[in-house]
Amino acid sequence: MADSDTLTDTRQATELDMPWNVIIHDDPVNLMGYVTYVLKKIFAYDENKASILMMQVHQKGRSVVWSGQLEKAEFYVQQLHSHQLTASLEKSK
Amino acid sequence: MKAMPTLEGGLRIDAVDSTDWLLLSAATDDAVSCDEKLAQRLGDLITDREVAADWQEFIVPELDEGFSADIVYVATRIAAARVETGGGPGPLWITPEDAAPWYSTLNQARLALEERYDFGPGESIDLAALSVDERSGFFRSQFYCGLQSLLLEHVMC
Repeated sequence: MADSDTLTDTRQATELDMPWNVIIHDDPVNLMGYVTYVLKKIFAYDENKASILMMQVHQKGRSVVWSGQLEKAEFYVQQLHSHQLTASLEKSK
Repeated sequence: MKAMPTLEGGLRIDAVDSTDWLLLSAATDDAVSCDEKLAQRLGDLITDREVAADWQEFIVPELDEGFSADIVYVATRIAAARVETGGGPGPLWITPEDAAPWYSTLNQARLALEERYDFGPGESIDLAALSVDERSGFFRSQFYCGLQSLLLEHVMC
């Protein structure tokens, strides 16, 4: 081996990216029917799924309504805010 | 005041007298009276450092602009209808295209009243214990809520 030769050792590590949760919180103003309407409109959920999630918000104070990549989660939260729903995002644990 | 769905998928609100026009105009007055801007309040829910800075810089101003535009739009529609009727009996039309800004404005009005008076769930309100201002605010909030329900049921469905 010549003095100038270089040995290259390449290693790859792969780990799963943690998904982000989109959360809707209960608030004193938004109507239950409106929350269902917005969930159907933004996420294209059917009436049954949207109603279940809305009831979670109403009864438990919050509901994870979607999980996935950060960029998409940000987009959904922005859409929910534009409909005046109290929404946030957090890393899934 | 009477409100009814139209064949075109909208709502027709019939004002009976000048008091009704005052009440309708109160919606936009209440909506702009919030101490803390709604867009900022929603933006404060984004606490993750990865996201929060960009959110405050780009999303909050855009939402704020949209919410304010909704109020201006509704105020303009009410003012135009009021002029057309001379402030007396006459209709105010809410088309399907108008539903979103109307709902948004009424929501902002209810949020402002809730922030000011902290009513909480309507069924637990003791009207006799409220001041004149609070009682007036409560009834306006109920009126806005009723209009929102009509919009949801007949226009946004």
